[in-house]
Amino acid sequence: MRISKLSLAVLALVISASAVQAQTNNASITATASVQTPINVVGAQSLNFGNVFPGVNKTVAATDLTNAGRFDVTGQASTPVTLSFTLPATLSSGANTMPIDTYTGIHAATSAQTGGVAFNPVTGANPTLSGAGALFVWIGARVTPATNQAQGVYTANVTMTVVY
Amino acid sequence: MKLLTWLVIAAALFQAALPPVLGAQGKPLTVTGIHNLTFGAVFPGVPRVISRTDPANAGQFDVGQAKFANILLTFTLPSVMVGPAGATMPLVFGANDAGYSSPETITSQVGFDPRLPFSTALDKNGRAAVFIGGRAQPLASQRAGAYSATITLTVTVLP
Repeated sequence: MRISKLSLAVLALVISASAVQAQTNNASITATASVQTPINVVGAQSLNFGNVFPGVNKTVAATDLTNAGRFDVTGQASTPVTLSFTLPATLSSGANTMPIDTYTGIHAATSAQTGGVAFNPVTGANPTLSGAGALFVWIGARVTPATNQAQGVYTANVTMTVVY
Repeated sequence: MKLLTWLVIAAALFQAALPPVLGAQGKPLTVTGIHNLTFGAVFPGVPRVISRTDPANAGQFDVGQAKFANILLTFTLPSVMVGPAGATMPLVFGANDAGYSSPETITSQVGFDPRLPFSTALDKNGRAAVFIGGRAQPLASQRAGAYSATITLTVTVLP
């Protein structure tokens, strides 16, 4: 009879233990993302007005492969990007300044400017990187030296920002 | 007496042979991962948010048990996704990034905080869907490649 009671107790424990175990379950899913190639921007060529004479305006066209400023962009292939610019209103030589205006821009998939698309740098542009993940951007502008413009080397920074 | 002892052993073996998860009414508690939480293409420096109501990209689990069963939902959430060469990308869950749906439709959810346990009750059908969204926060210098992490939902049947 003692064995019988023990057996019943064990039976009860087995059943109750199973019931407690049975109350939890779980499952998993996966969070996934595919990070694209970071954007890289290089200032490849300065916007060069060369010699400028007092009182004589000078323009460098964005199509001028020798003198237009050029930025080279690399990133995720075939992906749209947004271009924006910080454009100076003057060039400086010490305390002297010279106005710069009438910016123009061209972007293309090749460094030869093949199939280039004109845009206004003041408002920016939304081109798409090439199938190789490349983009080339040229900037032209005009300088308007005063008739009494002081002699010297005038410079300023043109900054282009590129985001996906 | 020997017969009773053998009965006990037989009962124990029978219990061991049962499906491991049984609820109050003998129905199995089922938890199934249905959809992954998919952020898709992500660009360095550009956070990507997936809403729990996004039918294409939200994560989804299905839960089944006895009708009207009281249950507790507990997520195990990763803080990063792991990518190429062990690179990590922060993954953030907010207070409204999980949703519970008795009718099992993504358009009819009760939002809750996946960072905290959430208790509720199944309806008369004994089934529900649980959805989850989140926010991937790639750094500006985030290494390109595929990233992933595991999200686990644990369901406990309450007495």
